[in-house]
Amino acid sequence: MGGAETLIKALAERAAQAGRTVHLLTTCAKNHFTWENEIPAGSHRAGPLTIHCFPVDGGRDLPRFGRAQERISRGPFTAEDEAAWLSESVHSRALLEYLTDNPFDRIVVGPYLFGLTVDVCRQFPSRSYLLPCLHDEAFARVSIFTKLFHDVAGILFNSEPEKELAQRLYAIPDTKGHVVGMGLDPYNVDPRAFTRRHGLTAPYVVYSGRREPLKGTPLLFDYMTAFRARTGRDVKLVLTGSGDVPIPPALTPHVCDVGFVSELEKHEAMAGAIAFCHPSLNESFSIVLLEAWLAQTPALVRESCAVLLDHCRRSNGGFWFGNYPEFEEELSRLLDDAPLRDAMGKAGRDYVVQNYSWPAVESKLFAALEAKTKDA
Amino acid sequence: MDTEAVKIGAKNVDVSALMAEIRAEVARKASEGVYTDLRVALAEKTNLAQLKDQDGFFTLYLESLREAVAIDINDFPIVERRRAFSPLLVKLKKSIWNLLKFYTYRLWSQQNQVNSMMLALAEELDDRYRRRIDALEERVRDLESKRDIKP
Repeated sequence: MGGAETLIKALAERAAQAGRTVHLLTTCAKNHFTWENEIPAGSHRAGPLTIHCFPVDGGRDLPRFGRAQERISRGPFTAEDEAAWLSESVHSRALLEYLTDNPFDRIVVGPYLFGLTVDVCRQFPSRSYLLPCLHDEAFARVSIFTKLFHDVAGILFNSEPEKELAQRLYAIPDTKGHVVGMGLDPYNVDPRAFTRRHGLTAPYVVYSGRREPLKGTPLLFDYMTAFRARTGRDVKLVLTGSGDVPIPPALTPHVCDVGFVSELEKHEAMAGAIAFCHPSLNESFSIVLLEAWLAQTPALVRESCAVLLDHCRRSNGGFWFGNYPEFEEELSRLLDDAPLRDAMGKAGRDYVVQNYSWPAVESKLFAALEAKTKDA
Repeated sequence: MDTEAVKIGAKNVDVSALMAEIRAEVARKASEGVYTDLRVALAEKTNLAQLKDQDGFFTLYLESLREAVAIDINDFPIVERRRAFSPLLVKLKKSIWNLLKFYTYRLWSQQNQVNSMMLALAEELDDRYRRRIDALEERVRDLESKRDIKP
């Protein structure tokens, strides 16, 4: 499950716990590249939620989709490319039929760049609340999204920079969008548990999540390789999550790759780190960054990502870098200055607790969902 | 480097102020050539698109490339870490190297020529487009000032 799915599920659970009747509609697919139906279709209860799984429509022309996607991401692209990309994207007639037969008051739907999301918003605009998880990427400039963002009942953003991006791209009125985000429960873990379990004696930087070029993982590998070679300091890199980004041979002996781990172990890995590094270029919220701050670990983020930069500026919990020399200087400071590290980690935690506690997020969510009712 | 300011501010940390301090430090070190290093250039290979707004750093990147453009094709000391038959193995390696070096010199000197030409081209393009952009910006400023004067 990716960040957007985690976010929607968490909001649904909270709304259900708060007494709302909530149904979570999803597809039978597990892989967002192949979209193969792997989970049996049907409904089941999971805690406070009723979950319905619907099969994805077959007959997708994947080569046509791939070509259109490539042209859009590289630009320039035509209206035909947009149409091909949308028509060969993921769709589910069964899910749309269920929504037609069951007229829910409000439909929270996302993320923005899937055909199924577009279908729901187009078919039920007055009841749809788009949770776009919008990124500053080529796909956000596909023309259909301007109308889509204008037509839906409301838009639930994860952060102020994400809302500003939507206003810049689609000129939506300020009242249309609401910054909601996701709540996180504070936790306390033993910061030495991870190092003990894995026999780590040197300080380390931690990275959590999918490993792929857009997440900046190759850049982190290159920067860590250069940092070790240039400064002569023995700093390890701990990786949680998965992905197929090759680790440079010079760095391989200094990487502790634990793959998918429990939430507890991930939090312990974060708590024991000198810094949590998030080199991604495109984020709409970044749950992992906030989790790392709850572990009181300072962050190092990419300056080019407006959302990560905004979190760091507001919280005082992280440094941002635009190039390698800045990264080297910042990591060196964090290694050398324990009081600074502690202060930044604490500032980060305070920021998350104050802004992303569940009661605060719930009140923003329900206010956003009620806003349309008042307008109507 | 004086890190006292950082420690004093640790309780009420101001990251924006620290960033300004860090960037000043990076600029000072860059002017001293601290980052003119092939390892820095290699580390930035996936970040070049993001450096487009950092003119100063792009220049630094080119300087790092200039430092690294010529591959060292000179002779090098031939050693043997294994203790047994060490002198014999060194002699054998030297003989092999004497036989091969003519061919490697030819190969690497050609590679060095290509590297130098590629770097010269990159520098020329950078310089040419910088000058063109400067001229266009100057023209825009000029036109804007004329427009402001007119009623």
